[in-house]
Amino acid sequence: MGVYVYSVTDKQHPLRLDGLRGVGESPGPLRAVTAGSLCAVVSDAPEDLRPKRRDVGAHQEVQERLMADGTVLPLRFGLVAATDDEVRSALEERAEEYTDRLLELAGCAEYNLKVAQDEDSLLRQILAESPPARQLNDDIRNGTADPSAAMRLGELVAQEVQARQEALGAGVVEALRPFARDVDSTQPTGSDFLNVSFLVADDQEEAFLTTELSVAHQLGEGLDFRLNGPLPPYSFV
Amino acid sequence: MTVVPQGGGDVARGGGSGSLYDVLELILDRGLVIDIFVRVSLVGIEILKIDARVVVASVDTYLRFAEACNRLDLETGRKAPAQLTDIVGDTVESGAKGKSKGALSGAAEAITDSLKAVTGGDSDDEDEEEEEREPVRKRRPAKRASKRTSTRERE
Repeated sequence: MGVYVYSVTDKQHPLRLDGLRGVGESPGPLRAVTAGSLCAVVSDAPEDLRPKRRDVGAHQEVQERLMADGTVLPLRFGLVAATDDEVRSALEERAEEYTDRLLELAGCAEYNLKVAQDEDSLLRQILAESPPARQLNDDIRNGTADPSAAMRLGELVAQEVQARQEALGAGVVEALRPFARDVDSTQPTGSDFLNVSFLVADDQEEAFLTTELSVAHQLGEGLDFRLNGPLPPYSFV
Repeated sequence: MTVVPQGGGDVARGGGSGSLYDVLELILDRGLVIDIFVRVSLVGIEILKIDARVVVASVDTYLRFAEACNRLDLETGRKAPAQLTDIVGDTVESGAKGKSKGALSGAAEAITDSLKAVTGGDSDDEDEEEEEREPVRKRRPAKRASKRTSTRERE
């Protein structure tokens, strides 16, 4: 048994924790461990905690509730301290750092944008715009190509795909960067070619959302924009 | 968490568990780490694998792209892809009203510049040595069937 830690907040945070479920099969109540001007939101850690959907969801819900009333430093899922005292000393040890971070993140939220592209429409575009690729493709389809043609076509297309997606991704990020305090790009997964988080201040939120919507709308053909937010600032703590 | 409604194109409307999926990697891989705390093992994670996009320049990848191109029905598909340059022009025009004017022309410029770099530039990379690695097969989460295995050459 230990103490599961959700997030760090300022002591002034109202901490409306009622009705929230913690992690675990029969979760204990959420409570606060205070040290100086900081506060950690915790619950008793269940034995044998695993990252189940339910528990990851519970972790996230706690952050969202706290975020509604103030600034929060969300912890990564799955961090467990031995005792409340250990939580307290962890807060004390880095008190200045956490306090500064809370100040910097005040009034900001994270927005995460993922973009995937329909492969067929991208390939069509490449064949339409690259005469050598088009020629190779025609030759292969007509049966007049030499045996190495498929390899050359594939390599050419792979390079085009990469270059186009990098350019498109960079363009989308540059379009949104003016409305963000910070930007954090990560490795896309699955069929996405862009995975980027923006730290957006409240007073820029509307402009950010309007611009994102316009970019998604204008480039929408064959592209799948997935914007999630406002989120606790996981990528900027 | 709310999912921002999107408009246009193939833009997705997430919701419920779909959006948890999309923020999962943030919850599991980002966020504050306090190093004196113990982290529960993520081994045997039930929800899904966080599948890094596998990026290989391999014979497999090339052949797959070649096959995909050969299969395309170019005649019926011709109408499908709007040219990006057209879209950018459109952005500039239609963006010239409302409060996001500056933003939109900025967006258009950024995208145009990036595209010019691609479509106008020579492929300097073409002669670079081909890296060949083991093609890696990923497990895909069931709900997100995808055609793509890999496209980029290296990371």
